[in-house]
Amino acid sequence: MRYSTKTQLLTGSAIVAAGLLLSSNAMAQDVTIAFSASELGATAYNPVAASNLNTATSLIYDRLVEQDADQSYHPHLATAWEETPDGMAWTFTLLDGVTFHDDTPFNAEAVQTWIASYAGTENEYLVEAIGSVDVIDDLTVRFNMDRPEPNLLYNLASAFMGVPSPTAYAALGEDFGVTAAVGTGPYELQSFEIGLETVLVRNEDYIWGSDLSENTGPGHIETFTFREIPDQSTAFLELRTGGIDLLLGVPTDFLQILEAEANIQVIQMPGTGISYMPINVTAPPFDDIRVRQATSMAIDQDSIVAAVYGGVGAPARNFLISSLPEADVNPSLNIMYDPARAGELLDEAGWMMGDDGVRVKDGERLSVDLFTANSTEFTRLTQVVQAQLAEIGMEATITVFDSSTIRDEYRRNAHQLAVRAYDWNNSDILDWFFSGNRLGYPNVSMWEDAEGQRLNDVAMTESATAAERIANFTAYHEYVLSQHLFVPIYQPTQNIAFNSTRISVPDPVRGSRFRQQSFMDIQIVE
Amino acid sequence: MILRYTFQRLLMLIPVSFSISVVIFMIVYLLPGDPIDNLLRVGSSAEDRAELVARYGLDRSLFVQYFVWIGNMFRGEFGDAIVLRRPVADLVAQNLPYSLTLGGLAFLFSSTVGMALGTISAIVRQPVLDRLMRGFILLGSTVPGFWLALLLILFFSVNLGWFPVSGAGGWQALVLPVLTIGFGGVALVARVTRVALLDAQREDFVTLLHAKGLSSGTILFRHLMPHALLPVVTILALRIGWILGGAVTVEFVFGRPGLGSLLIRALGQRDYPVVQACLLMLALAVMLGTLIGDVAQAAMDPRIREKKS
Repeated sequence: MRYSTKTQLLTGSAIVAAGLLLSSNAMAQDVTIAFSASELGATAYNPVAASNLNTATSLIYDRLVEQDADQSYHPHLATAWEETPDGMAWTFTLLDGVTFHDDTPFNAEAVQTWIASYAGTENEYLVEAIGSVDVIDDLTVRFNMDRPEPNLLYNLASAFMGVPSPTAYAALGEDFGVTAAVGTGPYELQSFEIGLETVLVRNEDYIWGSDLSENTGPGHIETFTFREIPDQSTAFLELRTGGIDLLLGVPTDFLQILEAEANIQVIQMPGTGISYMPINVTAPPFDDIRVRQATSMAIDQDSIVAAVYGGVGAPARNFLISSLPEADVNPSLNIMYDPARAGELLDEAGWMMGDDGVRVKDGERLSVDLFTANSTEFTRLTQVVQAQLAEIGMEATITVFDSSTIRDEYRRNAHQLAVRAYDWNNSDILDWFFSGNRLGYPNVSMWEDAEGQRLNDVAMTESATAAERIANFTAYHEYVLSQHLFVPIYQPTQNIAFNSTRISVPDPVRGSRFRQQSFMDIQIVE
Repeated sequence: MILRYTFQRLLMLIPVSFSISVVIFMIVYLLPGDPIDNLLRVGSSAEDRAELVARYGLDRSLFVQYFVWIGNMFRGEFGDAIVLRRPVADLVAQNLPYSLTLGGLAFLFSSTVGMALGTISAIVRQPVLDRLMRGFILLGSTVPGFWLALLLILFFSVNLGWFPVSGAGGWQALVLPVLTIGFGGVALVARVTRVALLDAQREDFVTLLHAKGLSSGTILFRHLMPHALLPVVTILALRIGWILGGAVTVEFVFGRPGLGSLLIRALGQRDYPVVQACLLMLALAVMLGTLIGDVAQAAMDPRIREKKS
């Protein structure tokens, strides 16, 4: 009896051990990734209709065009393109031999059907300027434009312009991207549980990666499991304990802790947005441009990068990320720290330094409201801004709101100064935040100006070519800077952390974000 | 008799549900901010915004919106999520099983362990054990869930490596969340059980039972327990709502799907239909919990159903 129990135990252990061995072999080619906090909660892998797409989308679908970190455009499913000088037609040559995961061919007809499918969706704006699509031959399409759209390549490189299989798209209807997602990408959707995880398996036929990857296909990794972990501390602990191999979107606060871990490596890439402080030009004392200029000179961007962000990232000197050509403005317009000049300007404006270090004008103290949204990083930054404003004799009181409430406050015109951030790597962000048509929110500066609106309209609608667009947006950007509507503060980095004992990740990262092109080059190191 | 009582209690739920529906609806709309901001993209015009507001019927009066909503609820139509863009019923159906599993296990854990601990501390009555017990009870009722969750993760997952840090894969992933939510319940149930048993021991009939020569065990399980169970059942019934509410932060920390996670996400984006559906589910759970508690009490104690009927 005792013997048989022992045998059973032994047999049992052997089975368990074999199982463990097998599963560890299976695990070896499986890489687990946690999404960044900003991309949680996607409900469908549907580039055409979804409002929110995550990084895994870029592995299921390919795009016609890819954008590199320097914002240049690279061919992918389109091998070449040509724009007529008046901007009224674009011809794209398509890559030969590409098939969707459902084995239907990718060709000119597929592109035509795909572009038409945006009609009536909220992503329609991406193709709004395209009047019609002509199939020239099997691998050539022509977009006939209703108006010139120098931003077309940017749109085509967007995650929302991944190309789905027209057959599957029509067959699945509302369920497309939920029960199945069919593209031409290097990975196929195996399972998707909203809010929990997405499992992708390698597309063995894939040999058409873009030139942003070393490996053009098939991918090195068999399976990518993407997990949604809302709490940043939990995600960090998962990385530390080996529960995940790669963490996208590491908050800057966590970098120091992560770098102390022997098995964790961090990669930084340029960010796609800036933190800044909009100034409400309609709220006294900021209706006086001298007070606005003084405020902008009070913020010491370099010391903020060093003290708040531990030297990671870069100071922001104007409204656009440095890699955009339109950020290259007349250097005299860039906003630099100059407390002495700030003091002079405030003196000129009649705000004289009081005994308690706060300036006074006609018996009124220079006390202002400083709004911010409720996240740790914002709160810390806002406190430093508050201290720097105090240096020039401006007393700022901080109020913290949740992100939805604060937009209502802006619309009520209840604000003076605010610390906020945006994430967008295109110069049309200037129109979004400074057009007189959107006062309150997004135009938090409450700026209405005839010349500003004229320059905005020219940049937005009258640019025929990419070069013209750059010139027009640069002019508009320079005018915005001359009006002191905001204070640029910080350009964050995008941070990715991974378990270097398990995987290797390409560094530096190509592409404007860490997506398909980088995943293609991830390898197991064991 | 008990059927009649249950029926009466069910009838009382109608006005209660109505008031709750008004409160849930109003709270969501009175919050500053709206879901449309989360749908706008860089470049949207004021007209685009107005069109979206109209598409989701947010331009109608609150009164009209309420009746449209409650009408849909009666037909069992939860509508479509505005920001998440899926049918609300689908989202709830996907998340509810996770919440029910977690809540159910936490409830089971806190009631069984709590009653056992309460009973032990009532019969052993050793000063050291008693003090330990009271310390534990105090700790259990005051420690915030999200903090306890992180402590448990650090100890059991990071240091010992026994359980996964987060996620919903397999039973191992359930252990720490159940402990986190159940901990407060264990303390509460233990305290109530202990007090109820101590009170019952002082009753005259217990002296009589001892005098009759019954063993302590028989007295405890056959006579004292049924007596002491009454307040425990009340507390447990009220606990159902608390467990589901507590799950909101715990789901977040452990990265588990569930009604709580869904509610947090929808609330941040002001996705009205989803927030309303989640709140309604939680309110229903509390009402049902209370109902079950009341009926169970009535079944156990004839005085209750006689007094009320």
